[in-house]
Amino acid sequence: MEDRTSDGVKSEEISESFICCVCLDLLYKPIVLCCGHVSCFWCVHKSMNGLRESHCPICRNSYNHFPTICQMLHFLLQKMYPIAYKARELQVLEEEKENDCFSPQLDAHAHNLQADQDLENPACKESSATMKQLDSISHISDNGTTVPEQGTNGNPEATGIAIDIDKNFPQNQHSGNCKQISVADVLCAACKQMLFCPVVLNCGHVYCESCAIGIAGEMLKCQVCQSPQPKGLPKVCLELGNFLEEQFPKEYALRRDAVRLKEVDSNRGWQTNGSTEGGKQADILAWWSDPHSKVHMNAGCDSCGMYPIIGDRYRCTDCVEKIGFDLCGDCYNTRSKLPGRFNQQHTPEHKFELVPSNMIRNIMLRLVTGPIDDGSTLLITADGSENLEDLSSPPSLSGVTEENVENSLAIPATSGDGAEEHQDDSQTTEYLN
Amino acid sequence: MMNSTGMMMMTSSSSVSTSSSASTSTWSSTTSVSASGKRIQKEMAELNKDPPPDCSAGPKGDNLYHWVATIIGPPGTPYQGGIYFLDITFPSDYPFKPPKVVFKTRIYHCNVDSAGNLRLEILKDSWSPALTITKVLLAIRSIFTNPDPYNPLVPGIARLYLTDRAKHDERAAEWTMRFAK
Repeated sequence: MEDRTSDGVKSEEISESFICCVCLDLLYKPIVLCCGHVSCFWCVHKSMNGLRESHCPICRNSYNHFPTICQMLHFLLQKMYPIAYKARELQVLEEEKENDCFSPQLDAHAHNLQADQDLENPACKESSATMKQLDSISHISDNGTTVPEQGTNGNPEATGIAIDIDKNFPQNQHSGNCKQISVADVLCAACKQMLFCPVVLNCGHVYCESCAIGIAGEMLKCQVCQSPQPKGLPKVCLELGNFLEEQFPKEYALRRDAVRLKEVDSNRGWQTNGSTEGGKQADILAWWSDPHSKVHMNAGCDSCGMYPIIGDRYRCTDCVEKIGFDLCGDCYNTRSKLPGRFNQQHTPEHKFELVPSNMIRNIMLRLVTGPIDDGSTLLITADGSENLEDLSSPPSLSGVTEENVENSLAIPATSGDGAEEHQDDSQTTEYLN
Repeated sequence: MMNSTGMMMMTSSSSVSTSSSASTSTWSSTTSVSASGKRIQKEMAELNKDPPPDCSAGPKGDNLYHWVATIIGPPGTPYQGGIYFLDITFPSDYPFKPPKVVFKTRIYHCNVDSAGNLRLEILKDSWSPALTITKVLLAIRSIFTNPDPYNPLVPGIARLYLTDRAKHDERAAEWTMRFAK
């Protein structure tokens, strides 16, 4: 299998953009974090902190929700690198069997069905026609170029893409291993045109940044699955954006023109989103500092992905999988129908019980994490990002007093995660005895 | 009456035990050895292909999880020309936990104690699974050039570094001659 992987990598020449920063291998079941950085399903999951907020491995941006796999990117990679992707699938499946814990099954048929349903929706009939055209042209000739056309009524919303076949357009130089992919594989969930500056929501659905701004009102909600977006507008997934620009240079440039045109006509913009994000951020901080908030260590919500669950936790009493099935209070109350994050065979008939949070654990957790959240977090993250970005310069702690340095070092020594968790467990039991 | 109380106690204790067993099966997962091994092998290939300046690293023997690394003291520092050996131990859940790095060559440096232990934030709380041994070696190389006396492991050396830099450098160069050449 080892050989197959390396063979696959050699024969398919995987783009740097699709190498996971954690396992250094081809992305498998990719997840895009709200900062726009991409990792494999298990790489993101294992990088998360079960005790408090998690940080992006690349930019250390903090987040609280385990996002859903980006299906569009998954099927794109599967199409582009069939051999290497299959090898990764087998490799990961082996590990999953070892741990008796599985990642979600992604059904290509269901994915296509969803797309087809969208196409049948009369509201997007016009754009679907465009898409089918685009699709067929890219497949047949590989020479398709697109030209933007102002909508007949002058409404920027109606600006579509018309097709102009230029027989002289030279063969795309990047098409060597990516012949199979077409614009139809990389469409925005809202405008059904090729993604421009793609942003991936917590639910894994991909939008153009401009479309996501368009649908962001009081709270950004996915138009496809109605899942609320926990932390405001995500950042653009640059790896995907750059890849699209490289792969479809003409189409991407045309989309840029179209989006700019739309922006000029629209007054809705960035400012509205900043405040939403700020408010949500404050909420999260409030959870942590509130002495009555209940933190369920190492338990995640199978619907929205909140990890650890803060507040009420409902546990399915009928799911038999080792990992269990949990919902946070909000998702339980909205009767979320989403499947589990680890392929649990959960059905709506299953019953739930409210899990009391461990009071003593919570007190201890606050003792351990409290001082960090009271200000020294800033010190640590600032320090850390500096180290990551510029390894050659020393961390500047000049403004920090001796005690602060001691505090910031002493606290994490007792907190941490993973290994320390057992220590924490034993301490708790001692305390109970 | 007694009986029913006993029953109640039974049921309550059993419900407690189920809820506690329920809360033990959580999202926390283990990293399989094969996954960490693969990642270490990838790093090894990367290091061989594109080694960082003045650094080298590789497994000590058959064990992929124990490496030995060398860093050459950068020019323009009192450590210039010294060859410093380091022991690197990867945890089984690498890269989700940082590797342990210990100096095997004695060095006069405020961030390295006499046992070779090293104080570097990225090897503790600032660790990120996106960091690699190459980046760690570069970070260590950077503290040769820029020690961090405000975060010392040997306060005496840090004090000397801040108060009498010339004397500090002289001593460091002396140690380099004695232990690292």
